[in-house]
Amino acid sequence: MQLGFLVDLHLCMGCKGCEIACKVENEVPLSTWRLRVKYVDVGTFPETKRTFTPLRCNHCENAPCERICPVSALHYIENGIVNIDKERCIGCAGCVMACPYGAIYIDPETQTADKCTYCAHRIASSMMPACVVACPVEANIFGDLEDPTSNISKYIQEHRDVQVRKPEKGTNPHHFYVGASQAHLNPLASERKEGYSLFNNITTLPLGGHH
Amino acid sequence: MVHESLAATHAVVTLDVALPDIFWGWYVTMNMWAKSIGTGLVFMLFLLLKKNSSEMNGLRTPVMIASFIFMNIFLVFTWLDLHQMWRMWHIFFYPHWTSAITVGAWMATLFVGLEFIMIVVMLRKDKCILTKNPTGFFDKTLFWVTLLAIPVTLYTAGIMAEATARELWQMPTESAQMILAATLSGSAAIILLGGSKLSVETKNFFGAILGLSALMAFIIYMSEYIFGAMKAEEVAAILHYVKGDGEYATMFWIGQWVAYILPMLFVVLSRVSNSSSLLNLAAILAIVGLWVVKHVWLVIPQLLPLS
Repeated sequence: MQLGFLVDLHLCMGCKGCEIACKVENEVPLSTWRLRVKYVDVGTFPETKRTFTPLRCNHCENAPCERICPVSALHYIENGIVNIDKERCIGCAGCVMACPYGAIYIDPETQTADKCTYCAHRIASSMMPACVVACPVEANIFGDLEDPTSNISKYIQEHRDVQVRKPEKGTNPHHFYVGASQAHLNPLASERKEGYSLFNNITTLPLGGHH
Repeated sequence: MVHESLAATHAVVTLDVALPDIFWGWYVTMNMWAKSIGTGLVFMLFLLLKKNSSEMNGLRTPVMIASFIFMNIFLVFTWLDLHQMWRMWHIFFYPHWTSAITVGAWMATLFVGLEFIMIVVMLRKDKCILTKNPTGFFDKTLFWVTLLAIPVTLYTAGIMAEATARELWQMPTESAQMILAATLSGSAAIILLGGSKLSVETKNFFGAILGLSALMAFIIYMSEYIFGAMKAEEVAAILHYVKGDGEYATMFWIGQWVAYILPMLFVVLSRVSNSSSLLNLAAILAIVGLWVVKHVWLVIPQLLPLS
């Protein structure tokens, strides 16, 4: 079994239901996110549109976080999920530096690394991840990539514009996007201007690094 | 380049706050800087042994103690940088051998342990139960410690290479820079520690190592600065932080001048004028400047948004 995720960006309307469901399900502390929806505004007024991209751990086949973790706190489980053992983690932040997707953070309460686990605890009980359940438009498609009859496999077969983030990194992500442009997936394809954030002045989070 | 599409798309991020900013900061700079001096001193002591062992008298113990102190500074800052520092023992009981952090921690521990034994043997010369010939034991062990100093110096480059998110750090250049940082700071430190115990000829020898290390490291940085952007878009974006009015441009050039350009100049002047004061000045500048250079190169890739 190889579990994977696919987000159809044609369907996503940026409601952040997945983000909230994830926070509640996993008790993610304030100021941190396992899953977040990025907004990018494209075009010049009045010809503008807002794009939405849910971002979470890509559960890479060749995960840099797993490789660099000195104590195997980050590890693969048999269904392909890159899981984390918070009791084992020493908080060296090597995984934070290695993940090309910025998907790992240091939990301010436990002072250990944390990230999306595809709700591994729910899957163990044959339930879907919380974000999948919460999505009102079924933009999140989750399933076994090795099963050709699964919804995710069919979706990948039927759509030509299936992409992953940063394929050049050689991480082989198990998280796919349909309907994505460069502005959705490439951080260099959009600017970050002061005063443009809907969170006003908050651009960085106090994650405990030593400056 | 996708960056050029901005003129057409005017794409602006309006909501995405999870940017971790600088995560490995000056604690990690201290780590790299102190380790360079610690292993560099061992390299230089070994060179001195091979070049002129008679000048080792009176230098074996103080140089090894200095190296031991800097290696412990390196270890302390590594430990302090952990968010769960009391779990440090996990690295020894649950080692994950694909991680350069694990390999490095084990090798550095062995390295510091051997240094400790060598110091104890030399300090307890008369009462030493380990060997009847402490100096001979020291010199023989120095070979193995020097050999071990190579991977101990290089493993940080391995960590940087495993940091897939930071395109700027590539193993070939970073490993060269790590070794050059060790030879630069090691030669500088032994010039300062050696003082009158070193002959003019030996001081000039270490001065030459200092000057050449500075030259080669400077060439590599300038190669990255000028040509790095031509191969990878991410590298180009990162190098913007040290170019023009970039956030770290001033600090980058202060580092290059203090660590490399001025020491090169003072090494040449010291040879021309036969001045040990100028050589000492070059050594001090190299050690101070190395910290700045290391810090800039550590921080700038972390400024780039990953999402």
